[in-house]
Amino acid sequence: MKILIVEDEPKTGDYLLQGLVESGFVVDLARNGVDGLHLAVSGDYDLLVLDVMLPGLNGWQVLETLRRSGKEMPVLFLTARDQVEDRVKGLELGADDYLVKPFAFSEFLARVRTLLRRGKGSMESTALRAANLELDLLRRRVVRGGQRIELTAKEFALLELLLRRQGEVLPRSLIASQVWDMNFDSDTNVIEVAMRRLRAKVDDAFEPKLIRTVRGMGYVLEAP
Amino acid sequence: MIARLSLTARLALLFTMGSGAVLLALGWLVAGAIEHHFEELDHAELTGKLEHARHLIAQVGTTAQLERLAGPLGDAFLAHHDLVVRVLGPDGQVLLATPGVQLPAQVPTRVAELDAAPLWTWTQDGRSYRGLAATFPTAMATQVQVAMAIDSGHHDVFLRTLQRSLWLFVACSVLLMGLLGWVAARRGLAPLRAMREQAAAVTAQSLDRRLPAQAVPEELADLARTLNEMLERLEEAFRRLSDFSSDLAHELRTPISNLMMQTQVALSRPRDADSYRDILESNAEEYERLARMVADMLFLAKAENGLAIVQCETVDLAREVRDLFDFYEALADERHIGLALTGEGVVQGDRLMLRRALSNLLSNALRHTPEGGRVAVTILRQEGQLLLKVDNTGETIPAQHLARLFERFYRADPSRQHASGEGTGLGLAITQAILRAHRGEVSAASEGGLTVFTLRFPF
Repeated sequence: MKILIVEDEPKTGDYLLQGLVESGFVVDLARNGVDGLHLAVSGDYDLLVLDVMLPGLNGWQVLETLRRSGKEMPVLFLTARDQVEDRVKGLELGADDYLVKPFAFSEFLARVRTLLRRGKGSMESTALRAANLELDLLRRRVVRGGQRIELTAKEFALLELLLRRQGEVLPRSLIASQVWDMNFDSDTNVIEVAMRRLRAKVDDAFEPKLIRTVRGMGYVLEAP
Repeated sequence: MIARLSLTARLALLFTMGSGAVLLALGWLVAGAIEHHFEELDHAELTGKLEHARHLIAQVGTTAQLERLAGPLGDAFLAHHDLVVRVLGPDGQVLLATPGVQLPAQVPTRVAELDAAPLWTWTQDGRSYRGLAATFPTAMATQVQVAMAIDSGHHDVFLRTLQRSLWLFVACSVLLMGLLGWVAARRGLAPLRAMREQAAAVTAQSLDRRLPAQAVPEELADLARTLNEMLERLEEAFRRLSDFSSDLAHELRTPISNLMMQTQVALSRPRDADSYRDILESNAEEYERLARMVADMLFLAKAENGLAIVQCETVDLAREVRDLFDFYEALADERHIGLALTGEGVVQGDRLMLRRALSNLLSNALRHTPEGGRVAVTILRQEGQLLLKVDNTGETIPAQHLARLFERFYRADPSRQHASGEGTGLGLAITQAILRAHRGEVSAASEGGLTVFTLRFPF
């Protein structure tokens, strides 16, 4: 998966680059709009990460020119200004998603993966698996090591999300929005509690441990 | 053009134009009346002279007498300097004529109508004349035509002089009026200028200044009051803005100083990888809190300025509460707190914002409910309003804290500041801002171990 980052702020660009490379992506970094546009048009990228405020050409102009030249790769906008008009403008111009600075890297990574997965025609499997844990989507049953586990509807949805995105660190905000449709940060530790209860049912009595807390970032489910 | 003139100039101009028109009309009236008077004088004189002529003509009994008529007529009329005469005999022969002046041919007027006959006028050799003509019978029953005219030149000279002085007078008066009008307008508008000076003195540092609504004339008092209200709103908004900045700076100081200290201590000597990881993780948590606080502050600022209502739709409150119960179920379960909902109702508003407002109330209630307590939500209609009450068991909140609960960063218990799992201190302020954006309000009451937050929506 090849990703192009267009970001003029040196530190932000460097860290995004490092973070994505370490997550296994092939990444190029452009420091201004003109170089960014040139790379985006000539290279073959699966995703474009575009800052709005750029020297030379700004993000809007880059996106517009890009879409006119027939490039249809998904675009994730980064903006420091959280104005409704900005978002609307970006989405109208053909951006696929946006993130408002400051954002957590885990959130960024989750959005990147969502966008890359989009359009790839994710196969609707009826069962999800990790090590000896199996989740049957049709019969809504969870079995681990041959043993049936009773989960509430929300716990089931939570486990499904973790399984679908195995190996990804999922930030709390993403979990709250995907499982409970709460699109804002709650000022409580409700996600921690829900996760603890899920682990008590799914992980505590079994080996290997699948769900892991990544401090300061979120949760990840991965088979060792 | 007139819209760009100053008010003083405009008033002075209008005043000048008004008085100028009046004076002009007056001058025209006076000049006309005098001219008319002169005409009447001339008419009377000519009528008198013609009467005299008729008297002389009536005595003519013979042709010889007719031929001699020129003598007495000449004696009577030719001596008059300004008078022009022409007498024609029955056969049209000229009996008498003032030399050097050619009277135009004229239809004679009958004697009976002499008084009412209009004067005719003509001009010759640069002199103007007014004339009257009549035919008189002689004793021989023949007709003699007499035409007389008066040189009205001296009248004209007088009239012209009069007119010239009149126009001069009008012009001077108009100028004077303009000046007086300007002075009057300036004096009349003095309160306005005073207001302007007052307004000019209002700056960001002195937003508490007000215009003197009591000291200005009635017409301006309204304007002053309106401007004062505007100033009040500006002052309030400005105060909020500066409070906002200072609150933010204050609240950011603690976490930033923690981060700085922690990082610097960590760097002060070599440590093993686990310690570094530990510090970085702790920092990440703190950063996340900071980011959330910034996001909350921005949201609050937008909500307070009424900018955040993106869309208006019908929101089913009971459904929102049930969804939120789902969300908080794990938290409540773990602490054996019961969640209950009664009633239902819909409001018009922004669903995401209302959900956030309710979520803040619920999380606040959950946080302050002791283990084994309960949180109950009641939706009901009362006195034309839709009420949503969130009550929880727990410690009674002292009255002095109740009113201030909705202030930014206000914490009833200062020692709990920045405890883990604690919010940004903005939750209730955000709830209040959201409710206000929906023209509703939120209030809190607490007694006997029960704390109730009530949302009121206009219905």
